[in-house]
Amino acid sequence: MLTIWIIFRREVAQYFASPLAYLIAAAFLLLTGITFNNDVALSITVKPVEPALIPDLLAEIMVLIAPLLTMRLLAEEHREGTVELLLTAPIADSSIVIGKFLSAWAYFTFLLALTLLYQFILVNISQPDIAHTIAAYLGIWLYGGATLAVGLLFSATTENQILAAFLSLITLLVLYFGDSAGQIVANLDVAAILFNLTLRGHYAPSFSIGVVRAEDVVYYAGVMAVALFIAIRLLESKRWRG
Amino acid sequence: MIVVKDLVRRYGTHTAVDRLSFTAQPGEIVGLLGPNGAGKTTTMRILTGFLPPTAGSVQVGGFDVQTDSLEVRRRVGYLPERVPVYPDMTVRGYVLFWARLRGVPRPAAAVEAVLKRFDLLDRQHKLVRSLSKGLRQRLGLAQALVHNPPVVILDEPTIGIDPGQVIEVREVVKSLRQEHTVLFSSHILSEVEQVCDRVVILHRGRMVAAGTPEVLGRQMKPGTHLYVALGGKAPAEIKKLLQKLDGVHTVREQGAGFVISSHGERDQRAAVTALSARHGLPLLELRPIELSLEDIFLTLLEKG
Repeated sequence: MLTIWIIFRREVAQYFASPLAYLIAAAFLLLTGITFNNDVALSITVKPVEPALIPDLLAEIMVLIAPLLTMRLLAEEHREGTVELLLTAPIADSSIVIGKFLSAWAYFTFLLALTLLYQFILVNISQPDIAHTIAAYLGIWLYGGATLAVGLLFSATTENQILAAFLSLITLLVLYFGDSAGQIVANLDVAAILFNLTLRGHYAPSFSIGVVRAEDVVYYAGVMAVALFIAIRLLESKRWRG
Repeated sequence: MIVVKDLVRRYGTHTAVDRLSFTAQPGEIVGLLGPNGAGKTTTMRILTGFLPPTAGSVQVGGFDVQTDSLEVRRRVGYLPERVPVYPDMTVRGYVLFWARLRGVPRPAAAVEAVLKRFDLLDRQHKLVRSLSKGLRQRLGLAQALVHNPPVVILDEPTIGIDPGQVIEVREVVKSLRQEHTVLFSSHILSEVEQVCDRVVILHRGRMVAAGTPEVLGRQMKPGTHLYVALGGKAPAEIKKLLQKLDGVHTVREQGAGFVISSHGERDQRAAVTALSARHGLPLLELRPIELSLEDIFLTLLEKG
């Protein structure tokens, strides 16, 4: 646990020292801020405020943000050669991967926490459905964790950060839009299976409408566990490849 | 402290290390010498627990690298050939990170001490990216020694740095002898001669010789080697006379005299003085000479 904490601390510090992380944060806040502003403006005359507005937006853009936040994590260790020192330090390989994953998730949590400012404003100017919002935030937090785990997995495959980001982007797009394939097959069961395999399939029909289902929590936890397990195995394989 | 027995490491069909055996005792500096591709880095990576061996056994401090990898890693300080750094960390933060990761009980004090030792204290708040190559090498040594490991493995630590820094690094390595067992690789023969107590010479993954530089000299070219300078006659005539001495197999000109090599441990000094007296040739110089490691290495490579 201590070694996970040491890795985690270094990586979190790295996020707050990285210009790219600040750029991502700026873009993140700009996009969510504009969306929130438009929704508040519409709520005056057209419709009530959307409690899951920010989480719904993030469900779409995490496919782009997660690769950018995670591409550096292991690819940089490979490129700089520091992976050789990490793998010869008296620590478990899993500590390296878990520490790095938790740091990315913590940074995402920090970004997510910044958007709570919008909820604070809403509480003061209207009567939003708080429970619905909490469910949606829980959902997007798990959803974000799953996308970051996939990003980390591809960062373990190469020393080229751009390639790592590209591979994870493709994979996340498949996981995101996979349910579209369900719409073109003429079989409801197959369509349901495809939908249930996608990231959106466990967010849109539940967390987004304020429903917390155990199966969705298990799905995101499962994606994280599988991706991290493969990332650990990929890191271990470095020992065999030299 | 280090026991390597019948070590084999293969990459597919290529054998990088082939039945290598050697030991290193506490307080000893052992040099791994060989050209690029000889298997030095692979051997060191196996010793640090980074690579598993294909066959054979490696023990560090009584622990097997395969079954007790974590215990071995606790006892080893390692500086790879290319110093791995985190460019965006400060010098202090970098060493502190490795100290914590290796479980140093009082990391701040240990970092302070090691930065002082390598003269990095005044640069402790600078970013690693701003350091010169020589300073990065010192930083690499600092991270390798911050946990005071009994075994220190240095993979070509003097490569790519300027001559002044090379001397500095060699002095640091020599100073480690007091408290550590050091495995030091190099392809510079004179460096190994200066720094190491014992040398293991590798070629194409195999050990071709091992011992002190002096012993290796005797192993490779048995017999005595004398430098002889005689006056009174033309060099060609003197050479003929020297060749006629019993047991002498080679006479070659060197400077103003000759190097004569004889079989076995035979000392030719008495024969040379007798020759000088018999022919009335003034003896200008007579001294035994040691073969340089360069000569030994070249001979081994020719054989390999």
